[in-house]
Amino acid sequence: MKRLLVAALLMGTGLSATTASAQEWPTKPIKLVVPYAPGGYTDAVGRITARFLEKELGQTVIVDNRAGAGGIVGSDLVSKSPGDGYTLCVCSVGAISIAPVAQTTSYDPVKSFKPISVVSTIPQTVIVNPSLPINSMEDLVKYAKANPGKLTYGSSGAGGLMYFSVALFDARVGTKMTHVPFKGGSPATAAVVAGEVNLSFTNMTDALPQIEANTVRALAVTSATRSEFTPKLPTVAETVSPGYAVESWNGVMAPASTPDAIVEKVSAALKKMAADPEVKKNMAVAGASTVFTTPAEYTAQITKEVEQWRTLLKEISEKKT
Amino acid sequence: MMDIFAGLGHGFSIAATPLNLLFCLVGAVCGTLIGVLPGLGPVATISLLLPATYALDPIGAIIMLAGIYYGAQYGGSTTAILVNIPGESTSVVTAIDGYKMAQQGRAGEALAIAAIGSFIAGCFGTVVIALLGPPLALMTQKFASPDYFSLMVLGLVSAVVLANGSAFRAVAMIFLGLLLGMVGMDINTGEARMTFGLIELSDGINFVALVMGLFGVAEVISNLENVSTRIVNHSKINSIWPSFKVLRGAWGAVTRGTLLGTLFGILPGGGATIASFSSYALEKRVSKTPERFGNGAIEGVAGPESANNAAAQTSFVPLLTMGIPTSATMALLVGALTLHGIAPGPTIISRQPDLFWGLIASMFLGNAMLVIINLPMIGIWVRLLNVPYRILYLVILVVCAIGVFSVNNSSFDIYMTVGFTALGYILRKLDAEPAPLLMGFVLGPMVEENFRRSLITSHGDPMVFLQRPISLTLLLLSAALLISIVMPSISKRRGEVFQE
Repeated sequence: MKRLLVAALLMGTGLSATTASAQEWPTKPIKLVVPYAPGGYTDAVGRITARFLEKELGQTVIVDNRAGAGGIVGSDLVSKSPGDGYTLCVCSVGAISIAPVAQTTSYDPVKSFKPISVVSTIPQTVIVNPSLPINSMEDLVKYAKANPGKLTYGSSGAGGLMYFSVALFDARVGTKMTHVPFKGGSPATAAVVAGEVNLSFTNMTDALPQIEANTVRALAVTSATRSEFTPKLPTVAETVSPGYAVESWNGVMAPASTPDAIVEKVSAALKKMAADPEVKKNMAVAGASTVFTTPAEYTAQITKEVEQWRTLLKEISEKKT
Repeated sequence: MMDIFAGLGHGFSIAATPLNLLFCLVGAVCGTLIGVLPGLGPVATISLLLPATYALDPIGAIIMLAGIYYGAQYGGSTTAILVNIPGESTSVVTAIDGYKMAQQGRAGEALAIAAIGSFIAGCFGTVVIALLGPPLALMTQKFASPDYFSLMVLGLVSAVVLANGSAFRAVAMIFLGLLLGMVGMDINTGEARMTFGLIELSDGINFVALVMGLFGVAEVISNLENVSTRIVNHSKINSIWPSFKVLRGAWGAVTRGTLLGTLFGILPGGGATIASFSSYALEKRVSKTPERFGNGAIEGVAGPESANNAAAQTSFVPLLTMGIPTSATMALLVGALTLHGIAPGPTIISRQPDLFWGLIASMFLGNAMLVIINLPMIGIWVRLLNVPYRILYLVILVVCAIGVFSVNNSSFDIYMTVGFTALGYILRKLDAEPAPLLMGFVLGPMVEENFRRSLITSHGDPMVFLQRPISLTLLLLSAALLISIVMPSISKRRGEVFQE
């Protein structure tokens, strides 16, 4: 009985401590986990975000790179961190919306996190080797249907967005192309340039320099709307597959137990960030568009994406059996 | 041709400004330091320094970061020679004969040859980038998966040559390495293999943890166990400077290593590693006294060290001409350029001539600085061996631990090092050399990846390996090398039979 009382007392003080700290937050440096290696695209977004939050919240924000398993290692770490607002992440679509569906992760994309806001988005570009007689998305579909299984596409591996976006495309328009996995998006892009594979759905960052140098032919972007970087390129949705939308995003998330008061504070800061011209300029250099969503919108987006990939995987496995 | 001289002249006018010279020096010094510290590699260092370069001018930043990379190649041989800890896969073979030389009191000689060879190779590699960068980049475009597969096969076969003892043990070690290399996510299916459900293993076994365990810590333990071997270290340190005779003996190895490294460095994925391994194999093959290899042959240091430096230089070719990074370090440099608003791509030479020529000019200056920094340091390094081992080994252990941790900020990797130390100690007791194991570990995943990719793109036709001229040539070379390894032992055995 006595032990129980002590425990209850301890819990009580613990509780009051967290509510008090939620109001005063932040009183010490914040750790912003980037689940990818330094120098990469998400790292750039993470550092831009950290710099702005530091200014806005008046506390040091430390970028902590925890790369591994395509972002799962770092995301997993954040899902298990204490929800005191001092551990946040700049997570990305791969580890949050795809990995929990395609593999087993110890976290749930919605239940283990409090999504706060998407901070940047980047579309994929459909690029083909210029030696192919394919000049539009319509040509691509026609060619792929006339030669089933002949066209090869490069991806960053079986668990990545570059594979899933083509798999979704195949399922939607009824084509069948052969998957050739690489170790990362940049060797896959290089293989399209060299002609080792015929095409790929490549991140805008990797694709843009090659498009400008005419070493590849760009056909479309995968996002719901056209990209500000390639305004002349149509979307996949407006050409051959209405409703098709795949986009890579990075967003700030917190562990699920983080108090709402802290989530709101971060959300308010990120809203200001999305309107900041300096941030917009820096994001554009990295090839990204600056975005803001409310925590509710962000949660809804993840739920919808998870559903989309889950349905697709079911379709693929049903077709195989 | 005139364009190139004009370009180089322009480049020097950029690289030789006081500020850029300073960046180049800082890069070279940092690179040497991290190269010397085992485990701390250019990838970890460049990623640490990357945020600090945001405020710099992009050309200065890239000159400094590149300096760290090729500077580390100079420093990397130091610990391999002095304490048998290769900092990177490219200096694994340097440790074989370099460490033997150090034990014989010839550490200064080995270090000097490594530095001189590196300088010659580095300068030659840079000349090649300036003269032939774009056409060479086109050549790499001709390499497709089947060709890479055959190149890796050649690498694996030459790993057998590395062994001093039995070829059987070497083959066993290569296969153990191949198995260790299998751990991790299979990119073809997205399934985890042999990870025991640990997410830390899903990217495969950390190379630094493996090397630090197998070489570094296992070496420390066996030194502590055996007092006599380490006494040799400070019994006598002869001359620091190599005699003229030694220089002349190493000259051929430096030349061959430089050419091999220049060629292989251009190829993405493990080019530098294959260059250093095959340089060692080549030296052992062409030598009139191959039995000296593994017992302190100077060519075994000169060749691979020249090869890895030439390769470090020419590995910039795909990045600078096509915008395609070929290694983790190059990917970091792409990140650095992107953050500075420069998209590396096929148009980089015409759009950013300042950057391209400035960087090339800085490489000449950087290599000159490195040889000036490194040669006088040799005396200090050699004297380091006089530090009592009871102090030295503690320093080695701490630095190894920091190095391993710094790769992924992961304590799991430290536990892995402990595990591989046990393996390394057992292998030592069994007289099995770890170098072929590492070769299998590094090349295994690439062999598999390219083999499977070749078959996917050829729609299942295995003839693709024989139909492509590059692939066929490499396979024939491998076969010839294999026969030359097997033949002597067969004829020897036959001789024994006849004697009976």
